[in-house]
Amino acid sequence: MNYNWRRREFLKKTSAATMAAMAAGVPMSGLLSSCSTKEKIKSTADTVILLYMAGGMAHTETFDPKKYTPFRKGMESKEVLSTFDAVPTALDGISFSEGLENIGQVMDKGTLIRSYVAADLGHILHTRHQYHWHTCYEPPQSVTVPHMGSWMAKELGPVNPVIPPFINIGQRFTVGEGEELKAFHSAGFLGSEYGPFLIPDPTSGLDSVRPPVGMSNKRFEARNQLYERLVQESAMGEFGSDYQKESLKRSMEQAYMLLNSPEAKAFDLSQEPKEKYDTYNTGKFGLGCLMAKRLVDQGARFISVTSEYEPFMGWDTHENGHTRLKDMKKLIDAPIAQLIKDLDESGKLDRTMVIVASEFSRDMLTEGRPGAKVKDQVEVPDIIQDMKNYGMHRHFTDGCSVLMFGGGIKRGHVYGKTADERPCKSIEKPIKIAALHQTIYHALGIDPETNYEIEKRPFYTTPDGDGVAEMDLLA
Amino acid sequence: MKYKSTAIFWVTAVLLLCVGLGDGLLAAGLQEQAEGTEPFWLWKFLGRLHPLAVHFPVSLLLFAALLELFTLKNFNHKLRPGIDLLVWAGVAGAVLAASLGWILATVEDYGGSTLDVHQWTGIATAIIGLLLIYFLRKTEGGRNPKSVKAFRSVLFVSAIGVSVAGHFGASLTHGEDYLTSTFPWNEDSYSPENLNIDLVAFGEEGELSEQKQVELVGKVRAVLAHNCYKCHSDAKIKGELRLDEREYVFEGGESGPVIVPGSSGKSELVRRINLPKDHEEAMPSKGKVLSGDEIALISFWIDRGAPWPDAASEVSEYRVAALEPRRPNVPAARKGLDQPIDIWVDEYFQEQDMSWKDPVDDRTYLRRIYLDIIGLQPDPETYKAFEEDTRPDKRAAWVEALLNRNDDYATHWMTFWNDALRNDYTGTGYITKGRFAITDWLYTSLRENKPYDQFVKQLLNPDEKSKGFIEGIRWRGDVNASQVTEMQAAQNVGQVILGLNLKCASCHDSFISDWKLEEAYAFANIFADTTLEVSRCETPIGKKASTKILWEELGEIDSTANRDKKLEQLAEYLVQPANGRMYRTIVNRVWKQLMGRGLVEPADEMDNVPWSQDLLDWMATDFEDNGYDLKNLIYKIATSQAYQQPAVAIEDPQILTDDDFVFEGVVTKRLTAEQFADGVSQNIHPLFEMEELQYNPNELAVSEQSTMTFARASLVANNDFLKALGRPNREVVSTNRDSQASLLQALELTNGETLNEALQEGALRWKEKYGDGDIIVHETYRQLLGREPHQNEFNVAMEVLGEDPEPAAIQDFFWAVLLLPEFQLIY
Repeated sequence: MNYNWRRREFLKKTSAATMAAMAAGVPMSGLLSSCSTKEKIKSTADTVILLYMAGGMAHTETFDPKKYTPFRKGMESKEVLSTFDAVPTALDGISFSEGLENIGQVMDKGTLIRSYVAADLGHILHTRHQYHWHTCYEPPQSVTVPHMGSWMAKELGPVNPVIPPFINIGQRFTVGEGEELKAFHSAGFLGSEYGPFLIPDPTSGLDSVRPPVGMSNKRFEARNQLYERLVQESAMGEFGSDYQKESLKRSMEQAYMLLNSPEAKAFDLSQEPKEKYDTYNTGKFGLGCLMAKRLVDQGARFISVTSEYEPFMGWDTHENGHTRLKDMKKLIDAPIAQLIKDLDESGKLDRTMVIVASEFSRDMLTEGRPGAKVKDQVEVPDIIQDMKNYGMHRHFTDGCSVLMFGGGIKRGHVYGKTADERPCKSIEKPIKIAALHQTIYHALGIDPETNYEIEKRPFYTTPDGDGVAEMDLLA
Repeated sequence: MKYKSTAIFWVTAVLLLCVGLGDGLLAAGLQEQAEGTEPFWLWKFLGRLHPLAVHFPVSLLLFAALLELFTLKNFNHKLRPGIDLLVWAGVAGAVLAASLGWILATVEDYGGSTLDVHQWTGIATAIIGLLLIYFLRKTEGGRNPKSVKAFRSVLFVSAIGVSVAGHFGASLTHGEDYLTSTFPWNEDSYSPENLNIDLVAFGEEGELSEQKQVELVGKVRAVLAHNCYKCHSDAKIKGELRLDEREYVFEGGESGPVIVPGSSGKSELVRRINLPKDHEEAMPSKGKVLSGDEIALISFWIDRGAPWPDAASEVSEYRVAALEPRRPNVPAARKGLDQPIDIWVDEYFQEQDMSWKDPVDDRTYLRRIYLDIIGLQPDPETYKAFEEDTRPDKRAAWVEALLNRNDDYATHWMTFWNDALRNDYTGTGYITKGRFAITDWLYTSLRENKPYDQFVKQLLNPDEKSKGFIEGIRWRGDVNASQVTEMQAAQNVGQVILGLNLKCASCHDSFISDWKLEEAYAFANIFADTTLEVSRCETPIGKKASTKILWEELGEIDSTANRDKKLEQLAEYLVQPANGRMYRTIVNRVWKQLMGRGLVEPADEMDNVPWSQDLLDWMATDFEDNGYDLKNLIYKIATSQAYQQPAVAIEDPQILTDDDFVFEGVVTKRLTAEQFADGVSQNIHPLFEMEELQYNPNELAVSEQSTMTFARASLVANNDFLKALGRPNREVVSTNRDSQASLLQALELTNGETLNEALQEGALRWKEKYGDGDIIVHETYRQLLGREPHQNEFNVAMEVLGEDPEPAAIQDFFWAVLLLPEFQLIY
C-alpha cells in the first residue's frame, strides 16, 4: 500500500492546532496529569525552527574546520583532517569550512556550539540516534515517547490556532528505515493530537488543505450541511448524550472550520516574490526553510525542516565524502543564512529560535567514539588512491557542531571546543542532548519538571527530569 | 487626644523609621552571616514574633477604615479621636511587623513568589502608613479638605494593603489552598492514602503490641512510598536519603538523621513535611503536600519511638491481589436469572441498591453481538431473520452461531491480540531482522479456539511460529539494560499475561509495587541464554540475580538449565490452575472487550480492586473448569442478562478508570478503526484491495480456506486511515484503544483519500444497482444502520438526492450517514 502521508498527515496535524486552541477543556486520556510546582520561567522564545542535518554532518567539514589536507593520490588516510580549506566568518578568529560563507556571515547573530557529544548507542544506526536526538530518550523504550515538537505542542499549544503547532517538513517515510523514522515522528503517550503535521515535499504543501480531490468548496459545504441535518434528525437522540457523541460532533465541526481557513496560504510558496523564492530555492531543503519563514510569519510553534534522511544519501556519506559535501553545503548555505537574515530583519528572530544540528558527526577513521569504538561500517584504505575514498565516511559521536540563533540565544558567541588533532573530540564544555533540550524548553518557558504519569511512572521532558538548561547559551 | 505639634509627628515618624531601618540593616547583616552558621537565637525569636505582631496592624487599620466610613459626612464625628488612635497604633504595628517579618524571612529560609508578594506589600504598607500619619497631621482637624481626602484615600489603601499582605502571609503559613480547599467543589484530585487507622485508639494503648507496631509502621511506609519514594528510594536518592528500608530511614541523609525516635519535634523529617509548600526546604518538594492525617500519623509513630519490628518488613505497602484461585459459592438462582454471572451481578446490584432494567431490543442486541464477536454488522436480511426467529433461546443460539464462524471470529479478534501481543505486519525491527511476526500462529490459534492455557504455553515456550512475542524487538547497537529483549519479555509477559507492571522494577526497586529489581531480573533470566548482569538505572551493580518465577510457590526454575528448558518450566508453571491471577487477567480482559470496562481497571493492573471480587473469581475458575475455552467465556458473557442491559453512555471517560466506578451494564463503545473500515467495505465499497492483505486466510490449504469477500482491516498493514482511527503503533504492548473521537480522526474521515475514494466507487456501484433516490435512501439506512429511515430523515436525504441522484450526491449521503453517532458507536 502506498502511503499518502501528505494529505492525511496534514489533516492530523492541523487537528493539534485546533484542539489546543478551540477545544480547551477536551479531556485527554485519564492517565495523563501534568504536574508543575515551581515558579514559571520567563520565556525568551515562542517559536522553534529546527534545521536538521540528517545522516551525520562532519564537524571538521562544516562548522569546525581543522587542518586542510588537499587530495593527492597516495596520501595516508590518517593525514586527512579536513578536506576543505577554511574561510573566515563574521566572528573574529572563527572559521568555517569553505562553502559555508553565507552562514559564516550571520554568525554574529547566534551561537556556535562546537562540543555537542552524542550518546553511545553501540553499533551505529542513524535512526536510533535520530530518535534519541528528537525525543531525548534512547530507543527502545517501554512506552512510546514524544518528539520534542509534541512536547511543545502539548505544553504551549499553537501560536496561531490554525497553524499546526508541530510541523515537519521534508521527510518521506517510504525510504529505507521508514518504520524506524515513524517511531519518533510521534506524539507518543501525549496522544496523536500532538503529533507532527508532515509535509514531505514543501512544493506541494498546499494540496493538503483543500477539500477532497474532485470536490468543490460548494459541494463540500453542502455535504457538511447534510451531515448536520441528519444528526439532528437522527434517532440517536433517544440514547442520551455522552462524550463520544459530543466529541464526534465537535471534531466534525472543527474539521469543517479548519478546511475553510484562509491561513492555508502560508503553505503556498508560489505567493513568495520570485527573487526571494530563488534565493531560498537550493532544493527541497531550501524551500523548506522558506516555508518555515512563511509559517513563522503566520504564527507557528515548532517547525522541523530536514535535509531528509535516506540511508547513504545526503549527509550520510559512506563514500565520495568530499565531493558530496560540496553539494550538501550548496543545499544549506544560502537558505539558512537567508532565513536568519529575514527573521532578523522582520524582528521575528527575537522570539524565534533556530537550531542547526545533526545526530552525530563523521570522521575519516574513528567509528563511534575514541575509547568506545564500535563495529566499522565502512572500509577505509590506509592509502588513498581514489577520490571516492577522500572524505569523512565513518560515524563519529564525540564532537559535533550545533548552531543556535535567536529566541534568547547569545549573539556572536562560541561555546566549547574540539581538539585540533585527531580524534578531534570535544575538549571543552562537552554538552549533551538533555542539556540542549532543556535549554530549548527553558527559552520557551517550559518547566524542567513538566511530566506525565504513564503507567504510574513519571515521564519528564528529559529523562528523569534531570536535564539542566545551559545558561551560558542564553543571553 | 490632641495632636498640636508637628514635632510629635516627626519624632514618631523618625523613631519608627529607625526601628524599621535598623532591623533591616541588621537583617541584611544576618543574611551574610546566616550562610552556614546558625543565626543568633534572639533574631530567631524576634522573627518568630512576626506572625503574632501582624495581627495588630491588620485589625487596627481595617477597623480604622471601617469607622472612617461613619465620618464621611462629618470629619469631626465623635469617633474621630478613636480613629486617629487606631491609625497611630496601626501604623506603628505595621512598621514593627514589617521589620520582624524581614528578620524572619532572613533567618528562616523562606522563599518563592508568595513570599515576595507578601514581603513587598508588607513593606509598602508600612511606608504608606507613615504617609497616612503625615496626612492625618495635615487635616488640621478637618479644616483642610484636600488633606482629608488624601488621608481617607491613603487609609483605605493601607487597609487593603495590610489585608493583601496578611492574606499572602497566611498562604505562606497555611498553604495557598488552606481556605479554598474546604469548598466541596475544590476537592483535590489526589486522595491521600485512606489511612484507615484510629490514632486515638492507638494512643490509648500503653505499650504497643508487636502486631500493632507492624500495623502502624505499615501505614507509615505506605505514606512514605506514595509520597517520598520518587526521590528517596532505590530509584533516586536525593540528598543521600532513602526512605524505603528500615536501616536507611534511621540512617538519615546528607544532613544527618531525619528521625529522632520519641520526638517528632526534633525530627527533621517532621519539620520538613510541616513546612509551607513554597518553603525551599518543604517536602515533598515535588507534588502534593502531605495531608494533615498523614502528618499526624508520622508524628505519632515517631513519638511512640518509631517502632519498626522485623515482622513489619513482611507487610506490603501496596494492595496485592491473591495469586491462588478462589471459588466463591454461587448463591441460589433467582427469578429470571439462572446464569451465575447474572446472579453475581444481582448480588452486586442489591449491594448498590440498584435494579435491573429491561434488556435491549433484538435489533440492538444483534448489532452488539455481531460487532463484539465477529467485528461485522448484520445485514438487513439477518436483522429480519433474527426478529422473526421465535425460539425463546434465540439470543443464545445466535451467539453460538456467530462464535462458530471461525474465520470471522479469528479475524475480528486479531485486532485485540495483535495490539496486546505487539504483533504487526510492518514496523520497527523487521528491517534488521530483529523482530518476528506471529500472525500465522495467532490466526490459527484463534480459529481453532486453542485453549488459553495452551495458547499461553506456546507463547512462552514457543516454536518458530510463535516466538515473536517473547523475542521482543531487537534494535541494532546497544540498548538500555532495562530494554534488552529478555527484559522486554519479562515486562510484556508481566503486563499482558499476568496483569502486572514490571517496567519500574526492571530498572530499580519499584516504587509503585513491592517488586524488586532482583526479582525482575530473576524473572527475565528465564528468557535468557545466560544470566543477565543486574543493572540499576543503567549502571551495572556487579551482581547477578537468580532465576525465578515471580511467585516461587508456582514452581522452581532450574537455573542451570538451558533456555529451552527454562521456558518449558516457566510455561508449565504459569498455566497451572494455582496461578489464579493469570486467569483473572484474561477473563477480565475479555469482559472488558465486551462490556467496555473491566471488572478491574486498568486491565493491566490486576492488583487493583475489582468492582465484584466474587464475579471475577467465579469467572476465572469457571474458565478453568471449562477447559480454558475463550469462546465459552465469550458465550457466557454475551448471553448474560448483564450484557443485555441497555448501554450506558458515559459523560466523562475519566469515570471508566475511577475506583468508585459503578457497574450498570455495557458501556457505549466506539467502533474500532477495523470495525469502522469493515463496515464501509462490507456495505459500500472495499477500502482495501485483496492484495493488501498481509495474511490471507483465503489462500490457506484447501481444507482451511476461508471465504473472505473483502480485505478485512485487521489483516492489512497499518496505514494512515487506520492509524488516525486509533490503530496503535505496535512497538509496545497496547491494551486499550481511545474511545473518544478526535479532530484528527474527523479530519481523516472528512478529507482522507482512502475513505473518499471508496465512497466514490461505491456511489457508482449503488447508482447502477439501485438507481432511484428513494431506494438508495432506504437501502443506505437499512444496510448501514439496520433500520428504515424516519420520515424526516428520508425527506432531508431526498432533498439532496432527488429522484435520479448523481453519484456525487450518493457519495456525500454515504459520508453523512457513516459519520452519524448511530453508525460510529456500539450501543
